[in-house]
Amino acid sequence: MGEASGWYLGLLAIAVWYLSHQAGRLDRLHHRIEVASAALDGHLTRRAGIAAELVLLNLLDPASEAYLMQSAHDVLAGEDLPDPQRLSDESELTEALCDALEDPQDVIEFRQDPAAKQLLSELQAVCNRVSLAKRFHTEAVQDCLAIREQSLVKFFRLAGFAKLPTALEFDDRIPVGLAK
Amino acid sequence: MRIGIVCPYAWDIPGGVSAHVNDLAVALIKLGHEVSVLAPAESDENLPPFVVSTGQPRAVKYNGSVARLSFGPVTARKVSKWIAEGQFDVLHVHEPLAPSLSVLAVWAAKGPIVATWHSSMDRSRMILSLAKLAQTAMEKISARIAVSEAARKTLVEHVGGDALIIPNGVDTSYFVDGHALPGWPGEGKALVFLGRVDEPRKGLEVLLKAFPLVRKEFPNIRLLIAGPGDAEEIIDDVPLSDRMAITHIGRIDNEKKPDVFASGNIYVAPNTGGESFGIVLLEAMASGTPVVASDLPAFQRVLEYGNSGVNFRNEDSEDLAKVLIATLKDESKLAELKEAGYGRAAVFDWAIVAKKVLEVYESVRLPGVKIEPDFAGQMLGRLGKLRITPERNDLNG
Repeated sequence: MGEASGWYLGLLAIAVWYLSHQAGRLDRLHHRIEVASAALDGHLTRRAGIAAELVLLNLLDPASEAYLMQSAHDVLAGEDLPDPQRLSDESELTEALCDALEDPQDVIEFRQDPAAKQLLSELQAVCNRVSLAKRFHTEAVQDCLAIREQSLVKFFRLAGFAKLPTALEFDDRIPVGLAK
Repeated sequence: MRIGIVCPYAWDIPGGVSAHVNDLAVALIKLGHEVSVLAPAESDENLPPFVVSTGQPRAVKYNGSVARLSFGPVTARKVSKWIAEGQFDVLHVHEPLAPSLSVLAVWAAKGPIVATWHSSMDRSRMILSLAKLAQTAMEKISARIAVSEAARKTLVEHVGGDALIIPNGVDTSYFVDGHALPGWPGEGKALVFLGRVDEPRKGLEVLLKAFPLVRKEFPNIRLLIAGPGDAEEIIDDVPLSDRMAITHIGRIDNEKKPDVFASGNIYVAPNTGGESFGIVLLEAMASGTPVVASDLPAFQRVLEYGNSGVNFRNEDSEDLAKVLIATLKDESKLAELKEAGYGRAAVFDWAIVAKKVLEVYESVRLPGVKIEPDFAGQMLGRLGKLRITPERNDLNG
């Protein structure tokens, strides 16, 4: 073997190391996105559960109750994230919650009831967690896309069969009556 | 929840980050959580029960000063062991770019990881290359917190991405009980300065130039200086008659802080730069002492642009004197500032701040998923570590 082929081998080794390093990064990022998405899914499911419980307390007018129950049901019966129908159901539920808890004065009155007070503070916490978890998920997706868009990564298909991650777009407003 | 917190700086040497970690841990334990803190420590004596030491730190030049950090194969093994045995639901590392325990912990762990950025640093090649080395660690972090806008900017410039701002906390109940030192503040009123006296950025010189001007209006006013360092040289520039009204009590223990604040009618913070948040201002406010501070952006935010304290033009002694005289003359303003200060400090009480941090933990964790050792990460960790030994790299370059 000549000196030149030694060089080639060295360069090849570096290239292989670099590619496997990038693949490892992608693997970790995909994992992080999965965990973030599962965490977000958990908080959203909890939110829908609380919304349904809220209906059972009979605090709201019948129309709001029907709307809230329907949208909570759609979420609970839906697919896991990132199903597009699920995302639009989540926005719908946010809308229903924001309508029902629009007036801070109403919420103060609802809180007179101890059971409702407990439920509303849980709802407030979970809405807060939903918007944090959504934010952290989006950050993970952005980190991942930055690598997926590199041409070497695309050319060598380092991402394997993993789908291109997307940010989960849905309305994550916190109802005005609950916001501090 | 079981929470593992990593502090990269020596536990037994006073510093902002270790104080923050201590207060956070105490607040979380009060809220009913199990907390273990991993930190380097000079000695195992007097460590709180929740701290696990990785042994003696080494002095390394980092971020413009000498920091006591911990790294090396033995340390890395201790970190891995702590993670493997911890069964944590969440791992929370502080200052993850410091070449120390935090980055080792991220390399060695898998699962919901939260990181808090503390310091504000100008964009520099050194930090950029550290960020590059630590890239694989940075990408494992699920949620990023910054304690201030400046700290957030440091993260954005060096690592990219964004962070949630959760400011530092103050233990307000601790400061509310201060007892003035005997004889203070006295009939003729008194001003208080707290901080290293020979560190120009703390701005003692600005205050000492303003002091004689204030004495023209308030001939019996005194100045209490508390903080380590040799003050003689700077104080010698003050005219003799005014010098007599200055008392320097040297370095004070943390326990004495509330008493020192209580000893003055006004706490003066003439800092000229390098402050990303201004926790001392909140401590003074929690003690009920009105604050007059330079108009650094961080200070203006803490003082709500004049609502809970008064700002003067940075490095302008004449303006400081003018502001001090006007404030001292106006008794109702002083009373107003005192009340506003209590209210402002309460917003930053650790109980409230810790709950915000807890919400972040809750939002990233998955029930049933624990922090686990990451073996691939550890191998990379060793590689990374070899490249950031202090002997080979001028970390300050």
